[in-house]
Amino acid sequence: MPPPLPDSQPRLAPGCRWSTHNEHPVVLFPEGMIRVEGTAQNILELCDGQRTTQEIVAALSARYAAADPQKINQDVASFLEALHQKRIVDY
Amino acid sequence: MVPNPLALIAEITHRCPLRCVYCSNPLQLAKRDSELATEEWVRVFQEAAGLGVLHLHLTGGEPAARTDLEELIAGGRLAGLYTNLITSGIGISERRLSQLVEAGLDHVQLSFQDSQEEPAAWIAGAKGHAYKVGLANKIRQLPLAFTVNLVVHRQNLDHIEEMIEFIEELQPQRVEIAHAQYYGWALKNRAMLLPTPEQLEHCMRAIEKARHRLAGKVRIDSVVPDYYARYPKACMGGWGRRLLLIDPSGQVLPCHAAGVIPGMRFDNVCDHPLEWIWRESEALQRFRGEEWMAEPCKSCERRTEDFGGCRCQAFLITGDATATDPVCSLSPHHSLIEIARAAASSEVSQPAWSYRTNAG
Repeated sequence: MPPPLPDSQPRLAPGCRWSTHNEHPVVLFPEGMIRVEGTAQNILELCDGQRTTQEIVAALSARYAAADPQKINQDVASFLEALHQKRIVDY
Repeated sequence: MVPNPLALIAEITHRCPLRCVYCSNPLQLAKRDSELATEEWVRVFQEAAGLGVLHLHLTGGEPAARTDLEELIAGGRLAGLYTNLITSGIGISERRLSQLVEAGLDHVQLSFQDSQEEPAAWIAGAKGHAYKVGLANKIRQLPLAFTVNLVVHRQNLDHIEEMIEFIEELQPQRVEIAHAQYYGWALKNRAMLLPTPEQLEHCMRAIEKARHRLAGKVRIDSVVPDYYARYPKACMGGWGRRLLLIDPSGQVLPCHAAGVIPGMRFDNVCDHPLEWIWRESEALQRFRGEEWMAEPCKSCERRTEDFGGCRCQAFLITGDATATDPVCSLSPHHSLIEIARAAASSEVSQPAWSYRTNAG
């Protein structure tokens, strides 16, 4: 399954949603949950089905000015691809 | 320190229009007039959320047999729980399905018995296959997660590829290919359900191929059936450790089958707060931790991984609930499993099911 395209609009898959567990942000999905913190949280919060992958990378690059945008691009793509395999993110 | 449970399995009724030969309900079914009322369930959902439970699995029997299912879903969602409906689909019209989703349903697991009407009806003891297919087409147009459940066994494993293709056309996000588990009804029918080693190997290859082909489209979850595994399953993630089950009348159990173990006394949510029951009830403490273990479990390195396997299976097969799960290759009773496996390879002379009865 390919990673998201620059103009894909990533979003949580149907039946996956944010919640909290022991005061930590988590994403609930069928039969499980993942704790989402730090960079992962920053990426996933931008996946609203409106922003494109390109816009998400731009927003993160602006936020982490010291990081290499190319690297951010790669990280975002592989993170979203992994969650897509688990059917937690659609694009 | 007792860990908090993560999931609540709520058997809201034992009534069901189907009579599946491998039903996970106990042989002694709870009657309709013993079922908890709507407000009792909703209170229990609140208490469960307070204990740290994240997932609520509404099951039965057929949960849609309860006319207040919408209210129960809304109650679970209001408590903050991820709400999953495990259903045969019978009793859910298109309109009702929309109402369940509006009430806050997050996930539906729709069960199929086979890829075609006739063999499916033979297993379920009733017709319903075509209706389920129609319902699946509606489900995927709605904003919720969709899993198809398929129970596999000796009678349908020879066409596993066809069944996977059938499910693929239903377009769920996920499929659970579950081998029948030999408790209550399935244990009665074990001689006709237990697969042969060849079937099992064929099944695992078919699943591997399908996983590859459907990657990113349909996630396939499946495990080796425990009769053919080397070590037992970590049943329920350990007794009274991760999950709790509440039966239609409000009794709190560590699993579907624990009622078969002699001398078990279950506490009821009508008599005690759920938190007290989770921590203190005799039934949930009985096999919690390692104190109860005998050899070979007691000194086994795997005891913290599989918790000695399944207590109910140990009792049903060896007559001793504290024995090592006999599916374990280290169990002194393992030959009983080997005999059952050998019997699976011989032909059953007069196939006859014991169909599940009804709850009344």
